[in-house]
Amino acid sequence: MRRLLMSVLLLVGLTAAVPAQDLKLPMKMGSVKFAVIGDTGTGDSHQLAVARQLATYRGKFPFEFVIMMGDNLYGGNGPKDYDKKFAIPYKPLTEAGVKFYASLGNHDDPSERFYKPFNMGGERYYSFKPANSSVRFFALDSNYMDDKQLAWLDKELIASGSDWKICFFHHPPYSSGEAHGSDTTLRAQVEPIFVKYGVNAVFTGHEHFYERIKPQKGIAYFIAGSSAKLRAGNIAPSALSDKGFDTGFTFMLVEIVGDDLFFQTITEKGATIDSGTIHRVGKVEPTPNRTAQPVVSTGGATKGTTTGK
Amino acid sequence: MNVIRSFGVIGVACVLGASPAHAQSSPPKPQISDATKAKAAETHSNPDALVLQDFTKRIEAYMAIHKAAAKDSLPIKETKNPGDIKAAQLALAAKIRAARANARAGDILTPEIRNKFRRLVYPELKGKAGQETRENLTEDVKEKDEGQPKKMTYKVNAPYPEGNALPTTPPNILAALPPLPEELEYRIVEKNLILRDVQANIIVDFIPNAIQ
Repeated sequence: MRRLLMSVLLLVGLTAAVPAQDLKLPMKMGSVKFAVIGDTGTGDSHQLAVARQLATYRGKFPFEFVIMMGDNLYGGNGPKDYDKKFAIPYKPLTEAGVKFYASLGNHDDPSERFYKPFNMGGERYYSFKPANSSVRFFALDSNYMDDKQLAWLDKELIASGSDWKICFFHHPPYSSGEAHGSDTTLRAQVEPIFVKYGVNAVFTGHEHFYERIKPQKGIAYFIAGSSAKLRAGNIAPSALSDKGFDTGFTFMLVEIVGDDLFFQTITEKGATIDSGTIHRVGKVEPTPNRTAQPVVSTGGATKGTTTGK
Repeated sequence: MNVIRSFGVIGVACVLGASPAHAQSSPPKPQISDATKAKAAETHSNPDALVLQDFTKRIEAYMAIHKAAAKDSLPIKETKNPGDIKAAQLALAAKIRAARANARAGDILTPEIRNKFRRLVYPELKGKAGQETRENLTEDVKEKDEGQPKKMTYKVNAPYPEGNALPTTPPNILAALPPLPEELEYRIVEKNLILRDVQANIIVDFIPNAIQ
């Protein structure tokens, strides 16, 4: 009897140690499914651990592409760096046909835009729209937000009509990080354009933690910069934050179904630390002089390690 | 007596050196050359506009060299092989260096252009908003957990050190400076402004202490 009890306890212990892999997304046929990673280019064991989880989760959630928040290659951009810090860690995904779309961080040489697996089309900033979807992505170069790029963004957003509009780039306009914090000069340039043209969600990195910001002017902001680097304990108490996680490495899974964007944030150990939904209220056409969007409600249960300190 | 005078000089130097706020509070004074002043008088032009026109001409002259070098080099295009990207970058850099073997600091960013740029940047660094910009400029230097950067060599035709972060150029600084062709960019490293050839990864020219 005691042996049986011990066996049961051991089994329970083993089960608890196995990554949860509890997927909450709708996982509907025909939806837009993608993953989000940021600040990845170390080539170290943390990047590999997150990459392994990404590949594991793809078995259950067949995302078609991954968006990258920059700092894709730390410490050099020679051929060996591309192999060690990108090609090898994500080989199971690229071999399965998963496409990666990169943006540039402050540790990236702009020549990375010519690396075909980053799908940047040779441009520092670009947009793409997955086939048969109503979602358009805009990859920006927040290291060099000049007038030319702002004019391009303006033009591209206006042309995107009623599509979901998702921007991704390196520096967070809103952040509770102690090391960097909100990039207010960047925010002053891009936020009015985001609001004017109805951008729904913004994904960034730079801060080496995960944070979901309370919707700002109707826009959902996420920081996903801990897919290989971590600044433990760096999230300061902040009124901006809806959810923060700075004690482990993370990536995000995202699914868009109709007017809902579902997200789930997962650690390198397979634990879900945040999840929820963004609902956009109707289809938002670009409107001049808009100061806020009638969009976003985020909701859903959050669990796991709690916000910041 | 000489000793007392020396102490006096040292004392004044210390006071000046210890008061960055003083340096920050006084904007750079215009330094327009006599030649530019004469031309401005002759053509009824604004001397500052002439300085910026001169900058544009110097950039165009550089771009003629860049384009000629690019024409003779391996094309930089999308590839699965990162070695091709590096090889194309190095080949272009070698050709530009050969074509500008005698280039010196100040050839493009002349003393009066440097002065004009310092004046353009100065308002962006004032006050509370300016403090934010200053913090952004030093942020990458503070990223101590991201590896020790290689020593920067401020020299025309030198490569920007591979592996070093490329400090983000704040949008308000970019908006204040004259636009550049896409092959070139401004980067501010420490307090110095670098004019960098993006495709060739070389320093085209620089302004020491552009940030005061």
